[in-house]
Amino acid sequence: MSRSVGFETNVRPGEIVLEQASRSFVVHADRGRTLKEMLIGRARTGGPPPVEALKDISLQIEPGETVGMVGRNGAGKSSALRVLAGILPLHSGRVAVGGQIVTQLELGAGFGRDFSGRENIYLNGALHGLSKAQIESRMEAIIEFSELGDFVEAPVATYSTGMFLRLGFAIAAHLDADVLLIDEVLAVGDEAFQRKCEARMAQQISAGATLVLVSHDAALIERTCERIAVLDGGEKVFDGPVHEGMPFYHRLMGTEDPVPSP
Amino acid sequence: MAHRYLFEQMVRRELRQKYKGSALGIVWYIVNPLVLMGAYYLMFGVIFKATSEPDYPLFLLVGLVVWVFFSQAVLGAAPSLLEQGALVRKARFPRETIPAAVVTVQLITFLVLLGLLAPVTLAIRGTLDPALLMLPVILVCLFAFVLGLALLVSVLHAYFRDVAPILAAALLPWFFLSPIFFDPGRITERKAAVFALEWVNPVAPFIVAVRDVLYGGAVPEAPVLAYVLVAAGLSLLGGHALFHRMQAELAVVV
Repeated sequence: MSRSVGFETNVRPGEIVLEQASRSFVVHADRGRTLKEMLIGRARTGGPPPVEALKDISLQIEPGETVGMVGRNGAGKSSALRVLAGILPLHSGRVAVGGQIVTQLELGAGFGRDFSGRENIYLNGALHGLSKAQIESRMEAIIEFSELGDFVEAPVATYSTGMFLRLGFAIAAHLDADVLLIDEVLAVGDEAFQRKCEARMAQQISAGATLVLVSHDAALIERTCERIAVLDGGEKVFDGPVHEGMPFYHRLMGTEDPVPSP
Repeated sequence: MAHRYLFEQMVRRELRQKYKGSALGIVWYIVNPLVLMGAYYLMFGVIFKATSEPDYPLFLLVGLVVWVFFSQAVLGAAPSLLEQGALVRKARFPRETIPAAVVTVQLITFLVLLGLLAPVTLAIRGTLDPALLMLPVILVCLFAFVLGLALLVSVLHAYFRDVAPILAAALLPWFFLSPIFFDPGRITERKAAVFALEWVNPVAPFIVAVRDVLYGGAVPEAPVLAYVLVAAGLSLLGGHALFHRMQAELAVVV
């Protein structure tokens, strides 16, 4: 436990720094250890070796940049986002993110099932450090954006996945984000709502927010991001403009468009 | 404190989540201890008519409410980080908020019960006395003591899943060894036993202090007060320090 590296916030708002960041996971079938086992000294043997989710990754993002992150499943994208969000500590290296961080990492995460959408708006706002007054001043805008209507008073347990996205994104869209971290959730929304989300993200970006977007939707990345980082097996294998990075990624995945035959 | 409103929200969630959907709702928090207190009063005040102490039911109940606060707070705090795991995995905020909310809810319950019990005790025992001024001090120390323990068990349980069951098992003998039903000095002559009962059990001086003031109408003795202050400080500092050291990987283990 003393291997954990602290999360630094003393950089400019919207600036993101990763220096030789490394993080591995120990994979146990049954995760909970017990005191008894610790005292008896019998370690859990067997199981796969630790997974190196992030290997020596360095990344410097300036405020206001839009960065897409792509890679295979398991390449380390979600781990990288969670490190940037400050919820996953590094084992070595350095991470620093400045300003208000707003995340969309899991759909419906942190929503109390028996509480209404409105009550969850209060909770989520509070989670991001807002006061009651600040949340109330944005409440109408959030509900309107979500298009949930009367459903906002219903318990969240009755929501569909699309509605979770609507509520979650509506909240995220109305926080004063300096850094936006979004992980593969947009695909759940219908076309109209997706477009609305993109428009709102564009607004936040033009207001100065930094965006890090993880997606498997290449078209979305190309529309939204100027820069792209390709991760493979926990390492960063490409970092540059998106129009160069996407072909590289397609080649890596073996999904590039075939050369038309003469 | 940036996350002050989050703490309020967590307290509210803790209050409502357990009993949401039930007819009585948050009133259950009070009903359970009241029923417990009623049962003990019936047992020892009416059926068995215990007389080892004057106004025995009051002697018992004052100690009981302190114990209920302590035991319910640590029992609730132990699994709290796991129960709120979704929040822990979602955003970066002081994780202490979670066990602290549990303790706060139990504190509210405790204060309501005390608000019912204290006037009755003061009236029947005739113990309305300037010593009452010590009560807020003792209660602050009690809160600090319980909060420190709550922080400790919550972070330990997140990593070692048998902490909560061990705690639950330990609380039962601990309950009977605490000076709730008896005054240690009056049940045995053996000095070593009296010493153990009064001082080895960290909850004992808190029970004795509250009872001295409410039931006895006297300022607790200096050693008891000193113990209460030191235990509160050590528990809070130690619990917080350990929590801080161990909390980094919480998003992974919960």
